[in-house]
Amino acid sequence: MKKVIIGALCGLVAAFAVATTAPAAEIKLGVAAALTGPVAKYGVPIRNGFTLASEEVNAKGGVNGNKLVLVIEDEQAKKEEAINVFKKLIFQDKVFAIFGPTLSNSAFAADPIANQAKVVVFATSNTVNGITDMGPWVFRNSIMEADVLPVTVREAVKKFGIKKVAVLYGNDDAFTKGGYDVFKVVLETQKIPVTNTETFAKGDVDFRAQLTKIKAQNPDAIVCSALAEEAANIILQARNLGITTPFVGGNGFNSAKLFEIAKAAADNTIIGGPWAAESVSARNKAFVAAYTKKYGAEPDQFAAQAYDALYIVAEALKAVKLSGNLEKDRQSLRDALPSVKIEGATGPFTFRKAPAKAGVETGYDAQQDAHIFIAKGGKFVLMK
Amino acid sequence: MTDDLQVFWATYNTLVYTVGVHAMLALSIYLTLSCGLLSLGNAAFMGIGAYTAALATLRLGLPFGEALALGGLLPGLVALVIGIPTLRLSGVYLAMATLGFGEVVRVVFLNLEITGGSMGLNGIPMKTQLWHIVAILVVLVYGFVRLRRSKIGRAFEAIKEDETAAKAMGINTTSYKLLAFVLGAIIAGVAGGLNAHFTFFVSPREYGFDPAVDILTGAIFGGTGSFVGPMVGSAILAILPELLRFLKAFRLAVNGLILILVVIYLPNGIWDRKLFARLRRKGSA
Repeated sequence: MKKVIIGALCGLVAAFAVATTAPAAEIKLGVAAALTGPVAKYGVPIRNGFTLASEEVNAKGGVNGNKLVLVIEDEQAKKEEAINVFKKLIFQDKVFAIFGPTLSNSAFAADPIANQAKVVVFATSNTVNGITDMGPWVFRNSIMEADVLPVTVREAVKKFGIKKVAVLYGNDDAFTKGGYDVFKVVLETQKIPVTNTETFAKGDVDFRAQLTKIKAQNPDAIVCSALAEEAANIILQARNLGITTPFVGGNGFNSAKLFEIAKAAADNTIIGGPWAAESVSARNKAFVAAYTKKYGAEPDQFAAQAYDALYIVAEALKAVKLSGNLEKDRQSLRDALPSVKIEGATGPFTFRKAPAKAGVETGYDAQQDAHIFIAKGGKFVLMK
Repeated sequence: MTDDLQVFWATYNTLVYTVGVHAMLALSIYLTLSCGLLSLGNAAFMGIGAYTAALATLRLGLPFGEALALGGLLPGLVALVIGIPTLRLSGVYLAMATLGFGEVVRVVFLNLEITGGSMGLNGIPMKTQLWHIVAILVVLVYGFVRLRRSKIGRAFEAIKEDETAAKAMGINTTSYKLLAFVLGAIIAGVAGGLNAHFTFFVSPREYGFDPAVDILTGAIFGGTGSFVGPMVGSAILAILPELLRFLKAFRLAVNGLILILVVIYLPNGIWDRKLFARLRRKGSA
């Protein structure tokens, strides 16, 4: 049985090898994204962003006359699938670089493969700490929460004259717990006293006990690390209890779901994010118009970051003289990337070397300013 | 040709490893099934093994062999402790109890400092090699072949067919059931340890409800009439998504369709000896 399967796989490999033999003027880039399953709501906009950007680049004659070809594979946000996809892209499709994977969890499993094979892996949606510690071939243009939240807190303090805050966070989820860890450090360094710290678990619906305790301390604002659904209920119940203080949140708040549930109660909630739909830069306007025209839906931050990532790599490829030797070309792309500067849909972008870790050479994080938003009348608008 | 082979191996070695690990998990659930126990705790035991082995390498710096041994030992001990009370249950009640145990294990991983909480453990070195998996599988298969005709194997079969009758024949059903449960946990734990050392990363969500059901699905898909069935079934379920990759968006739909067709037309699984015998007769007639 196994022999038959291996035989079939061999056949498949051979078929693909024939089908994908490309003329020299094609530069293959891999995209590993979660296109099916519960994470597809992030993966699909990511794929769309890449597709749109590569079509635009090719329509303008490609990079130095070479066409970009995307090889898009579904990794289902599962670690084994992500590893399989990375290996297929690297060894079989022989791509120059890989974009992805969608979740940080998959990245921890798959990025070591790329790093070992000396292939650039470029994340557009991994925001946790430690991704770029995996090696010098790991890049990302997704801003870490650790970079966004300090700005969010500073701007909120400036806007509302906050003196002391209460903290509320979900302690059983990687994202919300990670957000809390960052908030804690930020509040310490900005010397803002914390009246009390309360926790909840994913799926909780009643937060009145925690909110009553918070109300008793009378803070100027509530710093909250939660996903949209819990966040909305927290805000709604806080308003019902007569708490009128503003909320300061993380990227988890950045969802239409927040307003579906909390409606106008969410007003004066302050968050930070990598991309603003209403940003008036010509680059962003062109992106939003092209995306909406092609896909019939408004883009989100994941699409915007993917779109920018392709332009970043395209910019780096301009400086690369293709030698025809795949290993050499991958290396030249890696060497050209750190110095790339572009004006993207998310704003001006450069790379920043990740802080050195003992014994391991690190990759590159995004050096980019976060946009700060405030909720007004059922949506987030840029705070001025 | 050697080039093609090299590319094939570089691309698919993780898949081959995964097939091997799934085969071990299939054997681990087959062991309890062969004793009439519907236990869904195998994913949790795999998780305990994976975390134990990973921590042994990361924190204690133990050699891979010892880490793997610990990864088998701890789930075995846990199985012993929780097996004594829970194995008094049978049928769906046992399934529910073991499922509940799985959830408890997941929540423990989520809340302990040493397991990295919801972030899991990353940076686990690549230690697993093909021969490790092959060697362990060969030993397991040899063990299962010998088990069939042994006193223990026959006791398992007797308990599966009719527990009361087995008891009446003087078989100590409790200790045999416990034996199957503990051995199953050890195998699952070793499989978890191997898996952790070729995927660089473990996190709580890999050992929750879904993988528990996946392991059972593989066993049922292959057929639980003999130990070969679950191995074949789980191997096919591991390979199928990669084999169907060319279907792009329709991949999972076709995957599901194949599962449904097999369950409808081959209710005893793919590896059905009676079916093979019937086909052979038809062929010769």
